[in-house]
Formats: sequence, structure tokens, C-alpha cells
Amino acid sequence: MASSEEFNLDEYILHHLTDSQEWHLPFLPTIHLPEWLSLHGVMLLLSSFFLTLLFGILYKKEQRVPKGLTNLLESFIIFVRDDISIKYLGKEDGRKMAPLFCNFFFFILMLNIMGLIPLFSTATSNINITAGLAIITLTFMIFGAIYKNGIKGFFKAFIPSGVPAPVLILLIPIEIAGLFIKAFALTIRLFANMLAGHIVIISLLGLIIIIGKVALPAIFLAVGIYILEVLVAFLQAYIFTLLSAMFIGQMLHPDH
Amino acid sequence: MTAATFATIGAGLVTVGAGIGIGLIAGRAMDGISRQPEATNKIQTAMIIAAALIEGVAFFCAVICFMALGK
Repeated sequence: MASSEEFNLDEYILHHLTDSQEWHLPFLPTIHLPEWLSLHGVMLLLSSFFLTLLFGILYKKEQRVPKGLTNLLESFIIFVRDDISIKYLGKEDGRKMAPLFCNFFFFILMLNIMGLIPLFSTATSNINITAGLAIITLTFMIFGAIYKNGIKGFFKAFIPSGVPAPVLILLIPIEIAGLFIKAFALTIRLFANMLAGHIVIISLLGLIIIIGKVALPAIFLAVGIYILEVLVAFLQAYIFTLLSAMFIGQMLHPDH
Repeated sequence: MTAATFATIGAGLVTVGAGIGIGLIAGRAMDGISRQPEATNKIQTAMIIAAALIEGVAFFCAVICFMALGK
């Protein structure tokens, strides 16, 4: 680390939050990653590995009365299926689409929580990854609606009923733009939430590096924000899944 | 007055706007819950959705402020 005169907090914070080719491990030498694999790519692979481990091996489906971890996971799955998927997509589509929303929920939750563990880095604070997730939602909003309602039905969803014709000229472009704005808003919300939380934590800890021992109580503040971040990790996974279900449901059932 | 000055002022304004918006939502939700405690779950979900939508706009503006800060 640089000496205190030439220490630049902005660069330090950005270095720890942006994607890079280096993986800093505590008490171990830094791992240099190959060119085709960046740090956040490793995090994506690791989280899918953990999820496979969690649901492939540790989740015991054959238990009649779920116990321990299986019970915990099952309560989340039931919550996503009944309170998110079926509520916004209807009984039939809701059951069919539940795996997608479970995937969204657990994948984002795992990425968010991994970001809070010092060993790993936050992949959801990378706008490319959140954009990728939102594109999946957008795909379902467009092609799912075409598959279900036909092309005519898809475009009919953009025409609000009971509106005089001159107003439609103004409204239809807004409705079509809204389709992409919704996906864009999903991207920015998750990305900015995770990035902002981590910037706050690192800035508080950075006070100690800049000012010195006097700023040590900042650790307590940082721990407080950290606990808040655990809540935010769950909340953002929930909100992303909920809004995805809402937007897809709006496109699949335009009449109500 | 540099771009950074305006960007920081902008970030402050974003906070004021989002704070008023989310505060109003939370306040009305509290009113609703205290009047009708059995509808707590429905009100809570609607409140979180509305708050998330406002927050999205606020974060969008905050990101623009960040981008202006870098210029």
C-alpha cells in the first residue's frame, strides 16, 4: 500500500469495486487471472457452483417432513412460487415460470451475499451482469408475450382501451419506450444499490487510512452499514424477482 | 464552480426528492396499516414496489451525478 501522502482514496475504492484480472486473497498471494476470465466472471462461476452444491446435494427432496437446511430453502422457494410467481402470473403460468424466478432470486441473493464476504467480490455491482439479468426479463416480456398472445396480441397490449385516437399517437410510443425503460430500471436499481452500499463501507474504512487512529470508531459505523447491507442483499434479490414477475405478468396478461 | 460542485449539489437534490417521495409512501402505508391491520401484507408489498420504483429513478440520477463527477 502507498504511503499516506500519495494515497488516493478514489482510486483505492474504484480498484476494489470494479472488475479486474486480480483476485486479492487475505493473507495469501494475489491470484492473477487469465485474460478470458475476469474477477466477476469467477464470482459468477463460483455462485453457480455453490447453488448447484446447495440444491443438488444438500437439498434433500425425498424428505417427507423437511428439516434443517431443506426446510429453510423450501420456505424461500414456496415464497417465490406463491407470493411472487403465482400472484402476478396467474395459477397456470405462475407454476410454469416459478423456476425462472427461483433462479433469479437465489442467483442474485448468492451474488449479493458473496459480495459481503471478504474473500469474494460483488458481481452484482457490475452493470454488465445486472444488464444481462434484465435482458432475460426483457426477452420474456417480448417473446413470452408473443408466444402466449401471438404477434397481434403483443402489439395490442400497447394500445390502452377507451382512449381517443389523437391521444394514441402520443401514448403508443411512450408505452413501447416503457418496455425498455422497465428493463433499464431493473439494471440500474440492482447495480446502483450494490455499488452504493459498498462505496459507503469502503469510504468509512478509508477514513482510518486517511486520518489514522483517531478514526477507529468508524469501524462501528461500518459494521452498522454492513448489517444494513445484509438486509439490502435480501431486499434487492426480492425486488428484482418481484418486479420481473410484475413486468412479465403485465405483458402476458395485458387485459388486467 | 466546477462540474464536480454541481454534481455534488445534484446528488444532494436527488436525495431530497427521493427522501420526500419514499417518506410519503411509508407514511401513508403506516396510516393504512394502523387503520386496517389485517391488510398489512398487501400494503407492505405495494409499499415496497412503489418505494423501489422511486428508488430506481433516484439511483439513476445518482449514477448521472457520479458520471459528471468523473468529467
